[in-house]
Amino acid sequence: MPDWDLLLTGFANSATAANLIACFAGALIGTLVGVLPGLGPTATMALLLPFTIPYGPTTGLIMMTGIWYGAMYGGSTTSVLVNIPGEAASVVTCLDGYQMAKQGRAGAALALVAAGSFVAGTLGILGLQLLAPVLGAAALSFGPPEFLGFMILAFVLLANLSADAPLKGALMIAFGLFLSTIGINPMDSYPRFTFGTEKLMLGIDFLPIAMGLFGISEVLTIAAARYVRPLVSRVRLRELYPNRDELRRSVKPMLRGSVLGFFMGLLPGPCTVISTFVSYAIEKRLSKTPQRFGHGAVEGVVGPESANNSAVMGSMIPLLTLGIPFAAPSAIMLAGLRMHNVEPGPTLFGTHPEVFWTFIAAMYLGNLMLLVLNLPLVGLFARVASIRPQLLLPVISVICLVGVYSVRNAFFDVWVMIAAGVIGFFLRRWGYPIAPFIIGVVLGPTTETSLRQTLLMFKGDLSLIAGRPLAATMLSIAATFIAWRLAARLWGKRSVLALDEGKGL
Amino acid sequence: MRQRRLDVETAFNAVLLGLGGVIAYVAWGYGFGSLALPGPGLYPFFLGATIAACAAALIAARARAGEAAPRLDKHGARILLVTAATLCLWILAMPVLGYVAVTFIATYALSKALALEGWRKPLALSGATALFVYLLFGFWLFIDLPRGILFE
Repeated sequence: MPDWDLLLTGFANSATAANLIACFAGALIGTLVGVLPGLGPTATMALLLPFTIPYGPTTGLIMMTGIWYGAMYGGSTTSVLVNIPGEAASVVTCLDGYQMAKQGRAGAALALVAAGSFVAGTLGILGLQLLAPVLGAAALSFGPPEFLGFMILAFVLLANLSADAPLKGALMIAFGLFLSTIGINPMDSYPRFTFGTEKLMLGIDFLPIAMGLFGISEVLTIAAARYVRPLVSRVRLRELYPNRDELRRSVKPMLRGSVLGFFMGLLPGPCTVISTFVSYAIEKRLSKTPQRFGHGAVEGVVGPESANNSAVMGSMIPLLTLGIPFAAPSAIMLAGLRMHNVEPGPTLFGTHPEVFWTFIAAMYLGNLMLLVLNLPLVGLFARVASIRPQLLLPVISVICLVGVYSVRNAFFDVWVMIAAGVIGFFLRRWGYPIAPFIIGVVLGPTTETSLRQTLLMFKGDLSLIAGRPLAATMLSIAATFIAWRLAARLWGKRSVLALDEGKGL
Repeated sequence: MRQRRLDVETAFNAVLLGLGGVIAYVAWGYGFGSLALPGPGLYPFFLGATIAACAAALIAARARAGEAAPRLDKHGARILLVTAATLCLWILAMPVLGYVAVTFIATYALSKALALEGWRKPLALSGATALFVYLLFGFWLFIDLPRGILFE
């Protein structure tokens, strides 16, 4: 039974000027970021994280989440009007959204996307509100072996789902985990990889790495590419009404996308992106006229856009109940909460219930704000999409510089950010996923603590983990997944060889 | 004979392979302890070994595939160098010139590097950015940032 009193208190708490402004600013900035091709929600969240520090954990969390799902709203605008996805989760929307725009139905597509995102967002928040406290209470009984099991399963799935080559994903996770070992180890106060440098005793701060990898490297990537000015379709407010047939065909995809996205959000990896592809495939499979897909089918626009919005809410569950972020934006949120000395996890609902319930209430309000913001201002957002990077990138770069310096007044952090930015630029070019790296950095200390506590608990006999059903299940799933991938790879190679032999090659 | 071009991605993986080896070696020195009482070196040793193993496997995979990473074109390389150099100069000049002046100069330099035409637009952009940074950090957030030798 959900605690409605706590939710009402959350609404009262969220109605402060700071929280409402944070909610609105997050939603607006997120929408703009979603509209602007290149700069993604993770980079923006990393960029704005230092500015949330003076306002407390709840305000910071509200703003960060507002940016994330605001970007999901905004990303669809450029997909429909310009055929350029504002961010990765809107790639699928281009397929049918732009076709609808070419047929003069851009307004209807945007209105239905906004409605779908609102419904999905609301259902996602409801799911989070109902499930998170229950799962959080269940997670109170988890010990180090269970957390270790969850962590290993998350890493295995993350490595496989985040990159074309799982080895690249695994390499990035291992490197992220290593980076978190630099400094004094809290378990035995032993300094590691500091090489006698005082600056490294406290470890490498998370924020410069995140801002470098997601902010500066994106700036460099956009700057190095040749800019082609997009041709933006114009949409007027009166064109936003969908017809009866479009409305009828949107309802079921909207609901299916909402449920699917929410559960996809529970998986490690780029859940918002994957949920859109799965939703599109399902809608096409269920459609009586699959041949319309790719030629302006409204189901192919509404389903995926609903899925990516509810996936954001789904991915908040592992973050808030276990303290394990499964996606890059939630890793930034975890780092932000830790800056405020709030550790998300099973104890959050007991130690900081106000953070969770104010966050839930603010998300309901934020979702409504996004709907109100997106529909009338769609023409303005479409024009924002044509802002040249020459105007944006210098501003983003210097704000990154001042922002990261201002956190600890340390030039060392700025050097780290620039180095991370240049490395990130090449990692992107070569197809190394950055999200697993940043999740590795954030989860590193918890992983080591869980591993060492598990070894201490079982006196070094790891076979005793079989006596912990949940941990054993997690590890079995991880092992099965690895075995399945290896078998599929081997089988694939044999099939290719057989084909080659058949061709007489 | 066909000349083999140095593949930068393979070189990067080779660096990671070496780095993984160094991490494992240094971690070895911290002490493993035992499985029942793990020491501070056990976990980083495992990570170093994993990094080295993944990097070695990637080198082998690239060698088998025989592909080379796409090279950065002249435009991209120039932008990368100028942007990185401007960011580095920002750090070096900030204690002397102060954050407002150095932000102005860096924004101007970056906008010119990104081929923002004329001098009026870059100047207006730099002025507006410097003012925004001052209002945000100095006026609103009250963060004490270096003001430079002229304004101390």
